[in-house]
Amino acid sequence: MKITVNGVPTMVDTDRDDAAVDVLRDGLGLTGAKAACRTGVCGACTVLVDGAPRASCLTPAAALEGREVTTVEGLEHPVQRAFAVHDGMQCGYCTPGFVVEAAAFVDRWRAEHGDVTPSRAEIAGAMAGHLCRCGAYEGIHAAIAAACRGEHDGEAGEPARVEAMQKVTGRAVYTTDIRLDGQLEGVIVRSSVAHGRVRSVRGGAVDLLPPDRTVRYVGQPIAAVAAASRGEALAAAAAVEIDYEVLPAALDDGSGTPPVWDAADRKHAPTSMEGFAFPGGWDGTNVRGPFGPGSWRSRTAVNRINAASGQGDPRLVTGTYTTAVQVHTAMEPHACVAAWDERGELHLNVSTQAISMVVEQAAKRWKLREDQVHVVAEHVGGGFGSKAGVTVETIAAVELARKLGKPVRVVLSRAEELTDTGNRPGTTTRLALLTDDKGDLTALSMDVHGRGGVAIGTSSALMARLMYGTAPRRLRDFDVLTNEPPGTPFRGPAAPPMLWALEQAVDEVAHRRDEDPVELRRRWDGNPKRHALYDWAAALPAWRDRPATGSQTGRFRRGIGVAIGNWPYQLDPGTQVELVVEGEVVVARTEVQDIGTGARSVIADIVRAELGLPADRVRVEIGRSGAVHGPASVGSRTTASIGPAARDAARRLREHGLKDGTRVVGKRRGDRRGYVTPIAMAGLAIGRGFAGSVHITEVEVDTRLGRIRPLRVWGGLAVGHIYNDRLARNQCEGGIVQGIGYALYEERHVDPSTGTVLTTNLEDYRIPGIGDSPEITIHFHQDGWDHVNGGGVGVGEISTVGVAASVGNAVFNATGWRAHDLPIRPDRLLRGISR
Amino acid sequence: MTLHDVATAAGVFRAGGTDLMSRAPGGPYVDLHGVPELGGITWRPDGSAVIGALTTVADLARDVRLRAAYPALALTAAGLATPQIREAGTLGGNLLQRNRCAYYRSPAFSCHQDGGDSCPARDGLTLYATVVDSGPCVAPHPSSLAMTLLGYDATAEVYGRGELEVAGLYDDDPTRDHRLARGEILVSVRMPPPTPGERAAYHRAIARSEAEWPLVEAAARLVVADDAIVFAAVTVGGVARTPLRLPEVESALLAGESLAEAAGRAEARCAPQAQTGYKVALLTGTILHVLEAAVEGEKVAA
Repeated sequence: MKITVNGVPTMVDTDRDDAAVDVLRDGLGLTGAKAACRTGVCGACTVLVDGAPRASCLTPAAALEGREVTTVEGLEHPVQRAFAVHDGMQCGYCTPGFVVEAAAFVDRWRAEHGDVTPSRAEIAGAMAGHLCRCGAYEGIHAAIAAACRGEHDGEAGEPARVEAMQKVTGRAVYTTDIRLDGQLEGVIVRSSVAHGRVRSVRGGAVDLLPPDRTVRYVGQPIAAVAAASRGEALAAAAAVEIDYEVLPAALDDGSGTPPVWDAADRKHAPTSMEGFAFPGGWDGTNVRGPFGPGSWRSRTAVNRINAASGQGDPRLVTGTYTTAVQVHTAMEPHACVAAWDERGELHLNVSTQAISMVVEQAAKRWKLREDQVHVVAEHVGGGFGSKAGVTVETIAAVELARKLGKPVRVVLSRAEELTDTGNRPGTTTRLALLTDDKGDLTALSMDVHGRGGVAIGTSSALMARLMYGTAPRRLRDFDVLTNEPPGTPFRGPAAPPMLWALEQAVDEVAHRRDEDPVELRRRWDGNPKRHALYDWAAALPAWRDRPATGSQTGRFRRGIGVAIGNWPYQLDPGTQVELVVEGEVVVARTEVQDIGTGARSVIADIVRAELGLPADRVRVEIGRSGAVHGPASVGSRTTASIGPAARDAARRLREHGLKDGTRVVGKRRGDRRGYVTPIAMAGLAIGRGFAGSVHITEVEVDTRLGRIRPLRVWGGLAVGHIYNDRLARNQCEGGIVQGIGYALYEERHVDPSTGTVLTTNLEDYRIPGIGDSPEITIHFHQDGWDHVNGGGVGVGEISTVGVAASVGNAVFNATGWRAHDLPIRPDRLLRGISR
Repeated sequence: MTLHDVATAAGVFRAGGTDLMSRAPGGPYVDLHGVPELGGITWRPDGSAVIGALTTVADLARDVRLRAAYPALALTAAGLATPQIREAGTLGGNLLQRNRCAYYRSPAFSCHQDGGDSCPARDGLTLYATVVDSGPCVAPHPSSLAMTLLGYDATAEVYGRGELEVAGLYDDDPTRDHRLARGEILVSVRMPPPTPGERAAYHRAIARSEAEWPLVEAAARLVVADDAIVFAAVTVGGVARTPLRLPEVESALLAGESLAEAAGRAEARCAPQAQTGYKVALLTGTILHVLEAAVEGEKVAA
């Protein structure tokens, strides 16, 4: 059929029922539009059809016949530069869809209203069909408003990140966009039973079962197949015959459930904790623990709490708090393109947040030297913890490529992404907190039962060791194993559930004492850096003028809440940055990846500033292996690792002079007073000091229809030197948006009878949209990190961990009702406030 | 292409495709675009509109004359889905789409709706299920436009069957979301003449601000004269196997009961599933919301 694509009349040979996005991407190689959800929810595939935005995943090819199609590659619109200048993006995977829709909106708006600023609601309504998992909505608002005002009709403004123009034009290439000659499409065949031994598999090309041939959750990989097209591969996958010996499954956390792991297999259980899990210790068949290494004078704590409980002491605050399973669901699904070359070396394009880990793990798994594994991750569409190391899409692609002798691409579907690429485990926390007559903390007890499916690694209670001084405390973590998909580390692992419980309990203490919750925290908190944040928070007019709790009676009630957070400072002390003078240009290289945090820009900024070079004389080439060692983008360690190394490299180069061909390597030199960990393990050192946060959140509660609307959030962060202000703000804004998702919407549902995940699309798994994003103010307190080389630490995790608790406290302030269960759904709110 | 051509073609009818394309691949599909009878809005001498089934949801929301004549319909169209879905989705597709039950949409389950003989949702996740018990299937009907059209007593012109009330498109049969048989094609929706002085409102109760299927939705059409409600049409969705019109609420309004009392009349219909007890309060709350909004709103219809 004939289509005009970006102004060029084009004949395409396609099935009329194919999705337009596949015609554009696979047929015409226009990979700017991303097929991220395939249900018309996320908008990443948006193109213009005769000038009107369309979700091309829902558009049959037939609907394009004779039409004019404009993809992001053919778009030339001021809003693109506006997105670049105002940093309306992080990972960039959703950006093509946003800019295409925004272009149409801006044109319509200016034609109807002139060059004036639309309201936030107007922008949110127009962009309602788009989702940004990074939560870059503040930048998107600013970009669209500026474009509506006509501020970007010229070439005005510098892009906020070095790759911004690539991301707004669709030129940024992600793993899902790679298409090699002769490439096959691979599909993973997954378990349909929650627990079973696989007797036989017929029709699978490669085997993905563990050595014990046992599947322990619905959706566990069993085999993989490949074919020339995804459609054929799916058909081949459907034809694979699996014979199971079905075993009884543990699908609830009650006692008497059949074992998920036999005693002999327990050591194979994966972990949801970053890098490690506590050893041994099972209490019953499916309960592991308790682990209490964070405890301190625990007997004293328990004795005091028991005595207070026996006396009905009103100073004892107790409660049970729960959190739902949260899923990472990065906009770019897990994806890998694998190819073996004639020398037996392995070439991988992987959507990963840890190139160095992929190299190391792939070399080990496929028995290669590390220099025989070549990994490219030029642009990565988000990760949030789920893309660290070799995961199953990579294993499947590599094995299929070896077996079939051709390059193989494996891209997970959104349903796979929402089922089996990891999650933040759900938790149940029983908490008791006791204060004395002076209102000082005298005892704390937290028992956290984490539900991470077949994975272990709950360590939420442990995180409470970092909070509020040294009062006696018993902090115990338990894992409750079920035949459900495994948890994995997720941005700030273990901290949000702990803070959801603890920070609400602290709020309850303040309420009972009739004390300002900020002032109470100031009294309890020994962290001097956070004291500066308390000063800032207490001075906010919105905080000063907050309503008295429970004082409102109307349908809509406003409330404001505070919560704090702590996060250990981590870094990769082995990080290096190499600089090479190539003609007029200084090229920076390191084995790091940019998953949307702005790693490229951090390096570029430093090299430019140190050497006094204009932008076009510095080029940063990251996102591929073979360079000097770079950090994994996990544990908030990227910037604090690469920043000082880049500066060291630039200073060395300055000493050498910018002669063509000069090569220097900069190192991440140590901090004054060294690290908490004496030696780096797996690229990780824990440095001295804790990043601190204070979040102040204002909500409006509709007491009739149960909706909680986040209005404004102020995020105060004590993280030292900020390397790039706009990018750091963006990440902190995104942390708030994800925290709001955790507080109000996000919840993985599993069918209780079969263990099948039910929330397998982005309609049923609800992440925040632009209309749910509050107005956000970020405040950085930059003092107190002079001992750190570079003077600052990461913001990725500290920016999100306390947000949900601040929402809970705001709801309490508005309504007098305290939420105990996340997310605070309308049904829960209505039930709660009706009591 | 004529109606006869498409009606006799083998395959599944496709209008905007927004529902079909998001479900498991089926087909073959028969495109309805290109059948002239299905498009366009025509106005009859009595001032009423006949709306072609392929009219997009976005056009229902922005057509100036429709907005004036049938404000509840236009508000509903503007309030559903997202801008892109509204641009592609059609009136006919909205009325005849399949339900959004996660069990029905999951390939892992079989249920009444796809040839099975049970409802796995009943004993599983019912948080988004019906609250008005209407048979073995607990999936709420997904069509917001159908709900509002019930309040207009609109009729549907169906090729192969003739004219029937929009309400007649639906029943409690757990195996289907509409009653049209293979080969029958929804051609158009016939509206009544506009009601002078109509005040209207539409609202969907959701957790987020946008882009979510309703937990409960409601539309109200009111005419107020001398501070009294002299005409009322109240319809609700998200609560039952079919969209519902609530004559008990309407008669209470005409009898002069307060808006809250009238809205509360809907409660008697409710028989919650395990997790849908909250929908009782949400239903009466949403009805009250649209009644208040309609009373307070400007008169729209001429």
